[in-house]
Amino acid sequence: MKNIKKDYFLGETVVRALRGIDLQVEAGEFIAIWGPSGSGKTTLLNLIGAIDEPTEGELSMRGREVCSLSDNQCSELRNQTVGFIFQGFNLVPVLSALENVMLPLQIRGLSAAEAKAKALVRLQEVGLADLVQNRPSKMSGGQQQRVAIARALVTGPALVIADEPTANLDSETARMIIDLMRALNEKDQTTFIFSTHDQRLLDRVKRLVRLEDGRIVNGGSKPC
Amino acid sequence: MKLAVRNVLRNKRRSLVTLSAVGFGFAAISLFRGYTDNMYYGVRESSIRGEGLGHLTIYKAGWLVKGKLDPQRYMFSNAEIKQIIKTIEEEKAVIVATPQIHIAGLVSNGKISTIFMAQGVIPKDDKIIKGRWGTFRPVQGELLSEKKDYGVEVAQDLAKYLSLEPGKEGVVMATTLAGQMNAMDMYVSGIYDSGSDATNDKFMRVNYTYAQALYDTDKAEKIVVLLDDWQKTEPMRLRLSTKLAKAGFAVEIKTWRELSVFYLKVRGMFDMIFLFLFSIVLIIVVMSTINTMSMAVLERTKEIGTLRALGLKRRGVSLLFAMEGGLLGLLGSLMGIILHCAAWSLIRVLAPTYTPPGISTPVPLVVHLVPQSLLVLMICLMFLSLIAAIIPARRAAGQNVVDALGHV
Repeated sequence: MKNIKKDYFLGETVVRALRGIDLQVEAGEFIAIWGPSGSGKTTLLNLIGAIDEPTEGELSMRGREVCSLSDNQCSELRNQTVGFIFQGFNLVPVLSALENVMLPLQIRGLSAAEAKAKALVRLQEVGLADLVQNRPSKMSGGQQQRVAIARALVTGPALVIADEPTANLDSETARMIIDLMRALNEKDQTTFIFSTHDQRLLDRVKRLVRLEDGRIVNGGSKPC
Repeated sequence: MKLAVRNVLRNKRRSLVTLSAVGFGFAAISLFRGYTDNMYYGVRESSIRGEGLGHLTIYKAGWLVKGKLDPQRYMFSNAEIKQIIKTIEEEKAVIVATPQIHIAGLVSNGKISTIFMAQGVIPKDDKIIKGRWGTFRPVQGELLSEKKDYGVEVAQDLAKYLSLEPGKEGVVMATTLAGQMNAMDMYVSGIYDSGSDATNDKFMRVNYTYAQALYDTDKAEKIVVLLDDWQKTEPMRLRLSTKLAKAGFAVEIKTWRELSVFYLKVRGMFDMIFLFLFSIVLIIVVMSTINTMSMAVLERTKEIGTLRALGLKRRGVSLLFAMEGGLLGLLGSLMGIILHCAAWSLIRVLAPTYTPPGISTPVPLVVHLVPQSLLVLMICLMFLSLIAAIIPARRAAGQNVVDALGHV
């Protein structure tokens, strides 16, 4: 991304969330974006994940200009290229763990049988083979987040965006989740970008990008 | 689809309220439809068989406009009747074609007189036209018979007024077609219920030859045709029109529907009530579905954002909510069918009766089970619910993904 700016308009007040971000991410990286609350971490991840549009600047993913895509093309891009992990897990409560993980594949148009086979593999990878039929309400926070990770990875995306994935978890579970993400990153070479303000997790990442007041103050360019 | 089904079941109480609105609305409409179906059947049969209109009535061209002024000219001669009936009875769908003559005059018991109107019919043909209807309104005494030419059937209120009973005698008077006064003895063979307060005090049925004798003519006013199926009425009219025109007869053919003013009025009134009831149910169903789906959209805003982030297109979100709306319509309709069948069974067991205005005797409350109507209504309500869900569905689909994800 080049010189990305994002403004929010609250009545007549303009909130400058991002004030010119330059960031290049290589395939297979494991990046943490950190900074204080209100520094623009979530806004930056929303733009990278193609669920929001910048006010100004250029954003491309695997050589494709994201800003020029239509809403339907953005949806296809997200389904094929990006996986999302949310702070609140955002699992569909009426679906089982297995059905939640199958969801992105079924949106893509895969048959139920194909989706089920792939989802089971991912759930096994995150250690939830025994809980596939459980609904989210019958699972702990850590288990729900592991389902969310399986759901993010089931389409084999090039990039996984995780917005504060450990914020609702205790320290031990948070470390386990980050270690799991790291392991999957190394195994599949899937790029992970996650935001956090928990400093205890930062020693587990390969690259740190620090944001302050909508600007990158450290880690914007790839470390040697 | 699985997601839509589970979402409908997610808030059971709210879905149940909506399903009840659709279900009870469905049952109200379908029961009324079943009732009107029976009503139309009854009035149709009453017109065709009770009133003796048959399915088609053939007049000489001009009779309906000028027939009363110059009846001799616009009535069928004996030779014409024979030829026309022969032509008509070549059709397989024709059960009987019979000449009739309508007469009016005074009837007296020797002490007092009153006006009467009577249909001159051939008894054996009339029996065929009446069919099962004859057992529905049986004649007290004996039926008309060719053997007793002077025997007449008198409507019950007219008989009461003149103190006539089966076996008693009286006199009828009328003006012949030539304008002379004529009087003939009559013998009361039977007393019957015409079915209507308006006609029970003036109607009689007489032999065709007796009516001709009273009017001093050998002609007939019309030829009544009974078919094997009422739905063949219109095609047969076209067919007979062409056929009789080719044979050189200038005729006018009227259907039972055109001649029965009562049927048209009853149908018009009940169609209007049905439309009114349907409109009310339509509003209830649409408002309930919009309310339920709007609440669902509001509650599931974050979920909509998640689905969009996972790659579901706007159209997919719309489709999901529209399917949920359609599902509410489908399940509500199924509930309505169950309610309809329960009410239908109860009515059959209890067999209540009522006396409609203008009708002389109580009639049973009958509700028909019309599968085609239930199916059409189910499709209709399902489609309505689906359409009603489109407004909230479009709102759901139009939401910004980031805003939806941030919704609390």
